[in-house]
Parts: sequence; C-alpha cells; structure tokens
Amino acid sequence: MSKINKYDAIIIGGGHNGLTAAAYLSKAGKKVLVLEKRYILGGAAVTEEIFPGFKFSVCSYVVSLLKSNIIRELQLPKFGLELLPLESTFTPLDGDYLLRTSDCDETYRQISRHSPKDAEAYMRFAPLMGQVGMSVRPILETIAPNPQKPSFYDLLSIKKLFKHFNSLDSKQFEYLCKLMTMSSADFLDEWFEYEPLKATMAASGIIGTFMGPKSPGSAYVMLHHYMGEIDGAFRAWGFQRGGTGEVSMAIARAAEYYGATIKTEITVKQVIVKNKKAVGVYLENGDEYQADTIISSLDPKLTFLKLINRKDLPDDFVKDIKNFCIRGSSGKVNLALDSLPNFTSLPGDGPHLSGAISISPNYNYLEKAFDDAKYGNFSQKPYMDIILPSVLDPDMAPPGKHVMSCFVQYAPYNIKGGWDEHKKLAFGDAVIDTISEYAPNIKDIILDRQILTPKDLEETFSLTQGNIFHGELTLQQLFSLRPAAKWADYKTPIKNYFQCGSGTHPGGGITGSPGEMAAKKILGKQ
Amino acid sequence: MKNYDIIVIGSDINCLVAAALLKINTNNSVVVIEPTHYFGRQTSEYEFFKNFRSNLIYDYIDWLDDSLIKKLNLGKFGLNIVEHELYRVSLNKNMQHLKFYKNFLKTSNSIKPHSVNDSKNWKLFSEHIEKITSLLEPIYKMTPPNLSNISFKDSISILNLLKPLKNHGTRGLVDFIRTIPMMMPELLDEWFESDFLKASLAVSGIKNITQGPFSAATGLNFLHHHINCKGHIHQNIFIDGGTYNLTKSLLNFLNINNVDVIKNTPIESIISSNNTASGIMLTNGKKITSNMIVSGLDPKNTFIDLIGLQKLEPSFQTQLNNIKYRGSVARIFFALKDLPNISGVKTEELSEIFSISPSIEYLEKAYDDAKYGKISSDPAIEFSIPSIRCPHFAPKNQHVLSATVQYAPYKLKNNSWNDSVKDNLIKSVTNILGNYITDFRNIILNTTLLTPKDLEEKIGLHEGSLNHGEMTLDQFLFMRPTISTAQYKTPIKNLYLCGSGTHPGGGAHGRNGINSALQILKR
Repeated sequence: MSKINKYDAIIIGGGHNGLTAAAYLSKAGKKVLVLEKRYILGGAAVTEEIFPGFKFSVCSYVVSLLKSNIIRELQLPKFGLELLPLESTFTPLDGDYLLRTSDCDETYRQISRHSPKDAEAYMRFAPLMGQVGMSVRPILETIAPNPQKPSFYDLLSIKKLFKHFNSLDSKQFEYLCKLMTMSSADFLDEWFEYEPLKATMAASGIIGTFMGPKSPGSAYVMLHHYMGEIDGAFRAWGFQRGGTGEVSMAIARAAEYYGATIKTEITVKQVIVKNKKAVGVYLENGDEYQADTIISSLDPKLTFLKLINRKDLPDDFVKDIKNFCIRGSSGKVNLALDSLPNFTSLPGDGPHLSGAISISPNYNYLEKAFDDAKYGNFSQKPYMDIILPSVLDPDMAPPGKHVMSCFVQYAPYNIKGGWDEHKKLAFGDAVIDTISEYAPNIKDIILDRQILTPKDLEETFSLTQGNIFHGELTLQQLFSLRPAAKWADYKTPIKNYFQCGSGTHPGGGITGSPGEMAAKKILGKQ
Repeated sequence: MKNYDIIVIGSDINCLVAAALLKINTNNSVVVIEPTHYFGRQTSEYEFFKNFRSNLIYDYIDWLDDSLIKKLNLGKFGLNIVEHELYRVSLNKNMQHLKFYKNFLKTSNSIKPHSVNDSKNWKLFSEHIEKITSLLEPIYKMTPPNLSNISFKDSISILNLLKPLKNHGTRGLVDFIRTIPMMMPELLDEWFESDFLKASLAVSGIKNITQGPFSAATGLNFLHHHINCKGHIHQNIFIDGGTYNLTKSLLNFLNINNVDVIKNTPIESIISSNNTASGIMLTNGKKITSNMIVSGLDPKNTFIDLIGLQKLEPSFQTQLNNIKYRGSVARIFFALKDLPNISGVKTEELSEIFSISPSIEYLEKAYDDAKYGKISSDPAIEFSIPSIRCPHFAPKNQHVLSATVQYAPYKLKNNSWNDSVKDNLIKSVTNILGNYITDFRNIILNTTLLTPKDLEEKIGLHEGSLNHGEMTLDQFLFMRPTISTAQYKTPIKNLYLCGSGTHPGGGAHGRNGINSALQILKR
C-alpha cells in the first residue's frame, strides 16, 4: 500500500520558475509541495562543486532578467540574493580587442578607437533600446490572451495593450516593429559599421536559439536579452555570489520561509488524472501525492507528452505540442584553471576579465559557426560567451585558482550520427583550441574540464533537446502561442493542471516571470 | 510643355492597372511614361539572340488579382489565360520526378514513390494552405493601416479582415499567425517526411528573395506565391502568347480609353518644391506638368533618383536608405537548335515549369554562398521551354529554354560581375541542366545571361530586386516600403506610389496598382 499525502498544490520541478511559483503560492497561504528529481535544487540555475574546491554555475551562468518585483515581493536579498555586476564585455580579436565597460566615457573612447561614427551611434542606440525594451514590458507582464476564444479579462488586457501601443511615439513603434521581425545583423547594420562591435551585439540575438545573426527573428532575441539592461544601471547583467544556484536557493529559502515543503531526489512518473481533472502525482518509487492543483515547471513536451497519458489530452493539442519547436543548439564547457588566462591582445589581469568575454570577431564567423550546425555538426570555430566567476567571487575556486564558464554555440542536439564520447571530447577540444587562439596559455592552465553537450543538458537537467529556453523564441512561439494557442495562460486542457516553465509566456532566462504569473493566475482562480 | 491631370511613371502591370482605373473612374487626362527600353518591364519580351525571344522575367504568373480581369474586361483586349492539368515538374536524378497536377489525387500519386505518408497528407496540406491564404487575401486588398497612428477608420478596416474567420473559425487565424513567421522546414516538417518533396515545396518560400529555407518568415513568401491558389500548390498562370500579352492587353485597354502612352523616354526628375510635386522633367529637356504623379518605380528610383534625397526629411532619408533590396535572381536564356529531351518527361509535358531543387540542404547551401557574397556553386534553378507555347519565340523547330537561377547576388564580395564570373555561372547552370537534359550542350546555339546588375540597367530594378525590395516580415504590410509611406501616399504632396515596393509586394498580380488607385480616388 503506497503512502498518500494531500497538499493544496504540487509543483513538479525545483527549477527557479517552479520555486518562484511555490513561493508565491505558499505566501498566499497554500500548502505547497515541490518535487525535484535531482539531489540539488535549481534546475538549470544551479551551482555544483564539480571538481573539489571548484564551484560552477553549471548551466545558466548570468542573471539579468530576474524581475524586480519578484525580488521585492519575495524579499530575496534577505534570503541570499546578491548580484555582482558584470562590468564589461570584452571581444578579443586577432591583434586587437574591443572593450565595452559600465563606464560610458571609457566605452565611447574604446569604440571610437575603431570607429568614431559607431561611438556616436552607440550613445544614441543604448537609450533607444532601453525605451523599446520598456515598451515591451507591459506585454511581458500580461497574461497572454486566448486568441481563439478571448474571455472578458482577455479583451480588457488586449485593450490595455492597444492603448499602450498608441502611447508610443512613432520612432519607438517603428523600432519595435523592426526588432520583432528583423535579423539582428540587419538591424545593427542600420546603426554601426565596425564588425566586431556588430557581431558581439548580434550574438545576444542567437544565444539559446537555432539561428544565426543573419536569420530573421534574431533581433527579437537580442531585444529579449536587452531587457536586462533596463532597470537601474546601464549594464544590469549580473553574477550571483556563489553561482546562479544561489538565486534558486534564495527563492527556495523564501518558499520554505512561507511554508512550502521541498523534496529532492523524487521523480514524478505521471500526473494522476481522474474525470479530466488532475488530482495528484505518481512517483517513480510507487508513492503517490494528492493535491487540488498540480503545476509543472518542465518544458511543454515533458509537461504534456511525458507526464500525461495521451488519452487524457485532445488530439489537436497533442499535435500543437508535438509541433512546438524545441531545438538544442548550445553546449557548455566548464574549466577549472590553475591561473587566469592571458589574452594576447590585452595581456595580464584587468577589468576585461571581470565581465563577459565574447568570441565573436565578425558576422561571418558566427554565420559559419551556424552553418556547421545547420548541417548537423558542432561548430569547428564556435561562438562563445565566457565568464570567470572566480574573479568576481573568489569563493568559487580555491585561493589563486579560477573557474571559467564557456557557453558555446553551436552544438546541435541532432548531430550527425548522434552524440558519443568521441564527439563530446572533440567538441571540448574545438572549444579549447578556439580559446587558445586568443589566450594561448589556456591549455597549460587547465586543471580539469567538464563538457556538456545538448544531450548531457537534456539528461542532466531534463531539458528537451538541451534547449535552455524550453523552446525557440521565434515569433510563432511567443505570447498567445507559447506553448500553444488557447493554452498560453498557464492553464492546460486538464482541469487543475497548470504549467509554469520557460515554455510559457514570456519565455526563457532567469526571469521568474512564468512562475510568478502562473501562481498569480492560479490564485486568481481559486 | 504639356499638362496632364495624372502622370503614371513606369509600365509594369501595377502602373498600367493604376492608369486604367484612374482613367475610367475620373475621366481625367492620363499619361503613362516608361523610361526604359522595355515596356512592361518584368512582363516584357526580350530578343536575346537574333530571332530568339523569351519572356524577360516571368515565364508564368503566380497569381493575378481576381477582380482585375473582370473589372477591365481584359479578355476583350486580348488576354487569354491557359491552365493545364499538369503544371509543374520537380526533377529528380533517379527519374522519380514529382509532378504537380490540378487534381490532388494525381499529385498525391506522384508523391507516393517518395513517401506514402506524404501522399496521404497532400490534400490536407493543400487545403491547409488554401485556408491560410484565404485569410491573407483580404489583407492584400486593403491599404495597410497606419498602426503608429491608428485612426478609427483604420480599426474598422482591420475588423473587415476578420470576416473570413466566419468560414474557418478562429483556429484558422491561429494557423495564419503561426505560419507567416515560420521557416520552410518548420512549416513542412509538420506535414511531410520526404526531403525531396519538402525541397520541391520550399523553393516557393525562397523564390525571388535572398533568404534560404532556414530563414524565418519564408512562410510569408510561400503564402505570397499562393494567393488565390484554390489549394493548388505551386500554382501558375500562363498567358497565351507569352507573358507580354498581359502588358499588351492592358496597353490595348489604355489606347481605347484615350490614355497617352510614352515609351522609351528617360525621366530626369520629378519636379517638386515645398514638398509638393508638380510634374516631371524628361532627360530630353521636355517638361510635363501635373497635379498628380503616381510612381510605379521602386522607392530608390522614385525618391532618391527622381526627387533627390536632399529634398526629404532626415528621418525619411534614413528609412529609405534602410530598405533592403538584395536582388539575387539571374535569368539565363538558351537558344536551342532542337527540342530538348528530359529523361522521364514525356514530350507533351515539356511545356510545363521544371524545378531543380534536390534537397533542403542543397537550397540552404545555395543560400549560404549568397550570404557570403558569392554566387551559388549549385544554384536552385527553375526553367521552362516557353517556345513550345509561344512559337514566335524561336524559328521553326528551334527552341528557347529560359532559366531562373538563385542565388546570384547583386553585390559580390571582393568581385564584380565581370565576364569570367558570368561565364562561370553559365557553365555551372549548363552543367546542372545537362544532368537532366539529354545531350544538352550539343543543342545550344547561344546562351545569354542577365545578372541582377543587368536587370538594374535594363529595366531599372534597384539591385535587381524583382520585388522592389525584399519580401520579408520587416518589409511587409504597414512597413512596406517604409512605415511612413505604407498608405501609397508619400511625404511629397501629389506624389503617390503604386509599384511592387508597396503593399502587397512583388509579382505581376496588379494588386498594388488597384490598391493605390483606390486610395487616390478616395482623395
């Protein structure tokens, strides 16, 4: 006879969105249970000591989009949230470099060293992007209306959005339309001429997607990343003290403080559906929990195709979820270093090591990397977004030693012949060979390395295809269509079963937004 | 100096249609003036070699506006449309060609050797596309709303768009919104498994634009070619006697209705002062005055060449400079001493359209080359033998093969369109055609290549862009040609636009001309 326990709400998955939902629900007085498959909380926002003394933000590595009202409402700083600003973006080049820092004047000087015209344009560009980012905010904060059968509430929010767009001036509106539809390369070409600057900026339009900088639609992803630069300081990209896992832990502590129960190493096998209503979950170990509300923070494919019996879902909906595009395109290489890397173009220690290091010398470099992936290979010369967390937070590594986090694109999930140990090592080698072209000492200072292919990301973090956003951020998968028409408001075709992962509006990144909005939707309902 | 009530600049179908509608609805004096040697432009005829002619650009038309023929009664003026049961063949090296018929079942049978599942899905897919395009059709018939400054009238016109929903339910709207931003594999993977079939369809998504099948919003371009398609994928309309007969029938209409037509007369400028246009100055020094000028040229020709940038607001200048043209379509004409023989194709089937598009990867790789400023080493090719349907194109028993080749970018990186570059392109296209056409090389009498650069010089297409600007999502609807001129009006008083650079974009369908004329008549 299996154990039966009863809760108000069960949340499947202890990632940052699941935990955020848990915190909001328990704060509202609900009896909440969070079930996490792994031994550790955080999902893709996790810190692990992979090699003794070396701590890594294994998957997600920077924080920028965490909503300020969540930080406030859940009092996250009290529970350990402490963001250290990432001060700069450094693009090493062959014999030269491009450095942008939080100091406007210095950035101006650095860019004008390459192109005075671009330096001028850059000063106009940043505020405009800020304004456009601001203008998108109300969309991100609206529960996506149902286009097929709008409710009264939906009509109200559509009306509100219309009013909002009418309030934009024509220039903001024009740029918003362009950002929603263009490629990041075309968009930036209208502003700048210096390739390394354009390529580095365009790169934020490809992160986590299966697109190149010249693919239409990448400008929106760039905007998605730019929203992190709205609140407060100019570059609000930050690194969490103790690694991104501490963001999740802070939210978890808040949830527990408000009364949530969180259990790790518990795998949910299936959601129990009776009379078209979700009533509980079966665990792998044979146990069963009951609850009035079940919430999945997993991606749409897992939420519906794995956790729910096919016969409990309408055929059309199953087709929509099957058609939902989740393409794995990125990998991660985490390095334990004996000392700091030394870049040929800017030798020694310096502020360039305390920010993001971007391997993105020009558009063609990024496009060629993408071409490899299109035809089923990992990029021989990949794009990389590198940070050295131990420079900002020495506790991440033993004294004098360092950790280096390399986000690598492209590593397609569907690689020709499938991923195996040999390809995985070759992928790691390609990454290190590429870094060594800019920092030749890298090979001598590596103590250990962890290579994560999209296949590993899928297996370790339960991300379908290893996609960090729970689904491509393409126009047809946003807002009312994320993850499927009619079911973009966190509800599902099964009564009392909700979704709160990055596969819902407003999408991926450490925002907490889907978790928060799902919780608010549920609380509004109950 | 002469004066007209209305001057229409350009002679492609949009210009002629606009002139016709303005004439019959106002009875004002109207003149049409074509600056280049090629009256009809994309729909003109071209003698590329002595006694050998071809359709200059379009061997067939994707779609014609459904009201056009009726409204102008073009049948009476010599227009005759020919439709065949079989209308397109996608060639396959293993001779398992895909044949597209009006009858779904026949097409479906032709798909069967490639995939039984796909052949089952064919009818459903065709209906799906028909459903989606039926939602796009009313949008094509409207003047795009000015969304940044939306008026009550605009919102009413948007409501009109929702009418077709009655037939299809709101699910149709969702499918419509989903499909437009898609890339070809996203759309096609939902229906089919055969890569050959998918590539054969994807060519429609990349047709006449500089994007590969993996580019987002090729779904839009795919739908653009399927307006009024009645579910016939890759539909095409042949004009009896050659595509130029469409131009001719409109010309007959204009002549009978007393519209003056001036051919082959270069224009120096549009005369304007204080943001008001008052006429045109010809290169020969003559002046024609008018209080209404309708330009069917592309935005670059109209504003930058004929008005002059310095007369325009700085923000409008920026918008104009940012329009993407990016022509990458080349035309190659072969004069043949004999009727070619294509393995696996019957002689009576030779009059149709053929496509060489073996796989999605092949098409994407062709685009990769263009992305880096090179000519595709293995281009996508669409060809036909127009001399079968138009015997006057070639001397008796001899023939013309005309091919449309993608991608041959206007701007070549570290290179120019010199003779050796051109020869290489001709060679590679001849080789590829030789894989399908028996003894091809031996029947060639002459080969003529028109690069995007040639198209710019001959028929005034900026960067050789057949669409007067890329058909991408950022240059669609209320953003075409710019967000400030999407209502056919321009910042210059008395100057209107009616060319392919406006909504709803490129092709010889005439809808831009109709929309523009309707907008002008409202004035």
